[in-house]
Amino acid sequence: MSPTTFGFRAASAALFISVLSLAGTPAGAQVLDARRLGMGGVTLSDNGGGTSNVAFRAVPRGEATGSIPLPIGLIQFATDVPTFDPNDSTFNVYEIMNLAMSPPLTLRLGGPDEASGDVSIYVAQDSLRIDLQDVRRVVPKESMRTGGVSHLFAVGKSFGPAFVQFGPLVHVRNTFDLSPELRAALRDAVPFTDNTRYGLSDEARAQAALSFQAGVALRAAYVPGPREEETTDPRRSGATALYLGGAPKLLWGLAYGDARGVGGLTTGDTLFGNNTSVAFDAVSRTRHAAIGSDGGSGLGYGSDVGAVLYWNNFELGLGLNDLGSRIRWSTVVRQYVYDDSTNDFVTTTLARDEKYTSRIPVTTTLSAAKRFGATTVAADVVDDDLSTKIHAGAEHWVGRVAVRAGGYRDANRIWQATGGAGIRFGGVGLDLAVATNSRNIEEARSTELSASLTLY
Amino acid sequence: MRRVALLLPLLAALLALPGCGDRNLILTVDLLSFLAPADRTVPYGPIPPGVTGADVDVASQEVNLLEGLGDAVDVESASLRIGVRFENQTGSATGSLRIYIAPGDSADPFGVPPLANLPVTLAPNDTTRVETEIDSSPELAAALTQSRAKIGVRISFDTTGSVAPLQGVETSEELVAIVVTKRSM
Repeated sequence: MSPTTFGFRAASAALFISVLSLAGTPAGAQVLDARRLGMGGVTLSDNGGGTSNVAFRAVPRGEATGSIPLPIGLIQFATDVPTFDPNDSTFNVYEIMNLAMSPPLTLRLGGPDEASGDVSIYVAQDSLRIDLQDVRRVVPKESMRTGGVSHLFAVGKSFGPAFVQFGPLVHVRNTFDLSPELRAALRDAVPFTDNTRYGLSDEARAQAALSFQAGVALRAAYVPGPREEETTDPRRSGATALYLGGAPKLLWGLAYGDARGVGGLTTGDTLFGNNTSVAFDAVSRTRHAAIGSDGGSGLGYGSDVGAVLYWNNFELGLGLNDLGSRIRWSTVVRQYVYDDSTNDFVTTTLARDEKYTSRIPVTTTLSAAKRFGATTVAADVVDDDLSTKIHAGAEHWVGRVAVRAGGYRDANRIWQATGGAGIRFGGVGLDLAVATNSRNIEEARSTELSASLTLY
Repeated sequence: MRRVALLLPLLAALLALPGCGDRNLILTVDLLSFLAPADRTVPYGPIPPGVTGADVDVASQEVNLLEGLGDAVDVESASLRIGVRFENQTGSATGSLRIYIAPGDSADPFGVPPLANLPVTLAPNDTTRVETEIDSSPELAAALTQSRAKIGVRISFDTTGSVAPLQGVETSEELVAIVVTKRSM
């Protein structure tokens, strides 16, 4: 296998992983743990929040020890599989895109119809009007940002307070924007006018790396609580405890690519008047490197740190993932400029082996919870380079049955409501949650039912 | 050549927006708007009585509307709406109004059989409106999805029954092409 072929495959694999990871990114925010989803998707030390705060690893396990998602949405999906054949009369590209943004692991209870319908274009010498009809809904109202950082399939082992783990890390970010004029023309069917520029811009970045991590999570301070004889769980014993965690990581960069492009058209005195009536412009600058290909692999470092404090059954956690995470690459930089006179792009290689350091954005999770008796009230704020999400919820147990309610503000700053219930049978519990979400290209509200098993 | 060709490939990208499948792109082109005012209103005559086959070329226009769409779409149907008004002043005539669509590399659009051939009857001091719609024309669809096409309008008069020279003004009021496409990708 030639280096070029290998590099291409590596870059393709990185891209594939990136696409796959989109659904699991913070922007995607599909929570499959019904217990957690019922509480608004809030992150806690005892509901699978270990990946958001490395200090949670040192906290004794709570009553729940694990969660097994039940992908009940696959049944619904199997009964109505969309066609992936573009030539099929029922093919709907938006249905496929929504499928990628919201994999059918949960049961869809309701939501908007898939965008469809005809597109009408009216052209006259000095008039152009585009009516996307039903499809107008998918034209973004404002700048559209997607992506996030995903740590996939990490495998590791603990040795007392120390641990090692490795797994792929994928960072994807894309920002797409339309000029107000183009947005109005497409979204509101406003006629195009003369002497006006209709532009769009896109800024995309994707990088994939393998993360090799070694760290420590330990109890730094401990004062026994009044209920210490009943339970050693600091969440409920009333103990005062501080847990700290830190884990540096070595990042072996597999592939990196970014592209920044702007383009548009500027109408003349008459929309279709003469040879100079429309001027096109487009310029894009790309930077890339890939293992086995241009630039080869990258190398970098980073870290995860966290702390969690317990006091009087109150939990306060702070986790920072990918603190200082950077990867150094040797990149190729190219520029593509559209030449309006030749109706072609001119490609210029601006640099080869140019050193470039990419950054993995920090994800900060601040969580708080209070447990009193059979009730838990919790909230968190998760901040990354794309958005700040807020989750809040409560759980109350009545015998073997739990009821839950919550809400969250998603990556698109849209508030969603959640609720659910669970029943425990000895060491296993069945949980159901109903939640709204806007994980679709139109950002329209939809409702889903999630189910999972909890291991106690 | 008009720059319409450069803009429509961009519009072709909009074909992706309906989601493909049984959704359509309906392109309505006001061809009349591309004619110069002098080509929309054309005086004819005086044509002496007793003349057969007196041709008046109203318009001969190259249009280039669907460049870039041809490879991306399947044309479902194409239609053309035509409306022409004759304000005849003197004389009388029978004749025909002919619409031609020819490949863009043709010397002129009148070398191919007419797409439409509408009968016209004119009387002195009378206004006559001729209108029709050509539906589902494969020739029109083929022409409009080529990189270039030429459209021509010709009136042919027969004044053998007239007692006075034929004279008046022809005004093209409507020339609209409607192309319905589906995406072929």
